[in-house]
Amino acid sequence: MDIDLEQHQLDLAETAHRFFADRSTIGAVRSWEASELGYDPGVYAEMADLGWLRIGHPESVGGVGGGTLELSVIYQAMGRTLAPVPHLESAVIGAGALAAAQAAPGLLERVLSGTAIVTPALAEDDAGYGPDAISMPAELGADGGLVLAGSKILVGYANSASHLVVAARTAPPSDDASGITLALVETSAPGVGLTRLPNLAGYPLYATTFDSVRVGPEGVLGRAHAGWELLEPVLDRAAVLRAAQIQGAAERLLELSVDYAGRRTQFGQPIGRYQAVQYLCSDIAIHAHLTSLLVRYAAGLLDCGLPAGKAVSEAKAQASRTARLAPERAHAVHAGIAFILDFDVQLFTRRCRHWELDLGDERYHRERIAAALAA
Amino acid sequence: MELRLTPAQNEWREEVRGFLDAELPARWEKSSEWCEDEDFWEFAIAFTRKVSAKGWIGLTWPKEYGGQARPTIDQLIFSEEFTYRDAPLINTIGWGLAAGALLRGGTEDQKRKFLPPIQRTEVIWAEGYTEPEAGSDLASLNTRAVRDGDEWVISGQKTFTTWGSHADMLYCAARTDPDAPRHRGITIFGVPIRQDGVSFGPLFNIGGGRQNHTFLDQARVPHENMIGQEGRGWDLIMGGFYGGNIGAGYMEAQQKLDKVVAYCKTARRNGRLLIDDPVVRDQLAEMDLLVQAERLLTFESLSNIQSRRPPAFAGAIGTVVSKESMTRFAELTNLIVGRLGQLAAGSDWAPIDVASGGPEAWFRTSIRNHAGGTSQVKRMVLATRGLGLPR
Repeated sequence: MDIDLEQHQLDLAETAHRFFADRSTIGAVRSWEASELGYDPGVYAEMADLGWLRIGHPESVGGVGGGTLELSVIYQAMGRTLAPVPHLESAVIGAGALAAAQAAPGLLERVLSGTAIVTPALAEDDAGYGPDAISMPAELGADGGLVLAGSKILVGYANSASHLVVAARTAPPSDDASGITLALVETSAPGVGLTRLPNLAGYPLYATTFDSVRVGPEGVLGRAHAGWELLEPVLDRAAVLRAAQIQGAAERLLELSVDYAGRRTQFGQPIGRYQAVQYLCSDIAIHAHLTSLLVRYAAGLLDCGLPAGKAVSEAKAQASRTARLAPERAHAVHAGIAFILDFDVQLFTRRCRHWELDLGDERYHRERIAAALAA
Repeated sequence: MELRLTPAQNEWREEVRGFLDAELPARWEKSSEWCEDEDFWEFAIAFTRKVSAKGWIGLTWPKEYGGQARPTIDQLIFSEEFTYRDAPLINTIGWGLAAGALLRGGTEDQKRKFLPPIQRTEVIWAEGYTEPEAGSDLASLNTRAVRDGDEWVISGQKTFTTWGSHADMLYCAARTDPDAPRHRGITIFGVPIRQDGVSFGPLFNIGGGRQNHTFLDQARVPHENMIGQEGRGWDLIMGGFYGGNIGAGYMEAQQKLDKVVAYCKTARRNGRLLIDDPVVRDQLAEMDLLVQAERLLTFESLSNIQSRRPPAFAGAIGTVVSKESMTRFAELTNLIVGRLGQLAAGSDWAPIDVASGGPEAWFRTSIRNHAGGTSQVKRMVLATRGLGLPR
């Protein structure tokens, strides 16, 4: 029994830390946020050159092995720097769905080499998460293809994506997760529409509409009606990585807050000497640290193939809480100045808002924990 | 990273379970060492001596002092099973605190003299740190030890001494040099309790048990009972409990959570089972998160011990989380159980059992907040020594 990272994982963490500290400076983050693209294609290409888009995928589909733990240390570094890249959407979820379905090998290779982006389109009007929230109907044709009609929202990087992985309902649910089919849809296909959704995090989020979009049998990922089965492990890994990203952001907020509290003088002494301020900082430390432990444990379980669903939800439930609490405490330490755009805290606050709610919010994951307890 | 146990470790767990099945009554659910209870004592000491006879007290100690030199993970597995079953293991201060200090700072003679009787549960130790005016600020302690030939003469008052009147030795921190800086004038002694200079006065507590005031009036201690170096007692105090005795407090919470979940599957309120109530489900999930956080903090400690690495954040995060989360855990238990939770042990309608659902759930865990230092003090340690904020 040992929950320490291995040396090669620590080395990768160090490499990733240096890479993102150098490439994703706060200035770069600010300018990419203001751009139409919403991410840094140069940094993403370099990540591809480093092989970081291939981690976690089997060698049989062009991956380099490794797993969630290796990715989690990269995500921690991305979280610290708010690195704007579509890695989670494309290299983890998009590629994960293609790899699991053993579909579109050419496209998968382009995704893994960073020359194509494939992003998931899951959320619908009610912005729910999980299999229950998939209700957009699709009609299966006799040829095994299907026709999509409806809309998906909160789709990340849809403007840059060549394809979407769309979850649609092809049969009424006979149990919690059945009746969902995954379709690979070209964003340029007739009937696909994109609308940008301005948002707090400055993320490239889109609504996508499907006006009788025809998908051939080759575009159906995996078996019909069994899409969630295929997608769930992919989303579990993604949720843990989102949690690792939140951990990184919280650790950076802790550094910013401790540094500020040590320098800012009021009533004749540094505010960090006041216990009320010390409590605020220690809250961030505690929640960041608990997030790191839960992330490591869930990632470790996923990587050695042990049942991990509950641990994944524990990690993301805690991370979502951390994503609320760490910025809130950091704002309390910084007070008025955190409110000002020239200061960096707000960049973390706004990203954390997206990450908190993405891939299942705290409520969703707590319910999943409760379901595991009640089983 | 290795999240699986080896076959040998799994066999060890089975061996421990087999022992507990054989030695504990079927519905045993009383473990707290922190509240004296006379009925409990007789069973607990007999039980602990059986554990001693198996060689399981001092499991990780070197063999020359009566130990088994087993790895820390074996101790953790042992602790998990004993804690989950509320096994009444006593003499925590002996095999935890005193043995740890002796192994770190005792002389060879002291180790050979004091450790084997602790291993055999022949000599029971009580804690003599806290004083009426020195609680969180332990370094302000006033109990005075003065050298007199081959002996030390100790006078002062200690308090919250659990099992004091049953113990044989007091693990006592006393001031040997009042002129030294306050952290440098403290020394640790093993004070024989059965002598005229030591007496006790009871402190009855909210949980139905008792602690003690301990009065030291010219108590005499042989010089050879001075543990560690003169004036360096603070180092031993800060060293805390011996790492090799790693505990598994989360298993007490896990056991309670399991019982509360089982209760929720049968108890109905407002026309439905509690387990189907979304508010209750959310509370159960929060309880699970509290347990899991404690579990992983312990696994982290295990990895720190295994790689001989000091803990991050001055070791304060685990302590703060444990102290704060277990009171929240008990609060959630009481919220779920509701009004039946006010019924005491022995009441016909008391739900589950007294430890999990009754008032004791909170009484017992609320002890966590102060035993070994309050969470507020540990938060100060976290902020200053852990995060580097100004003092």
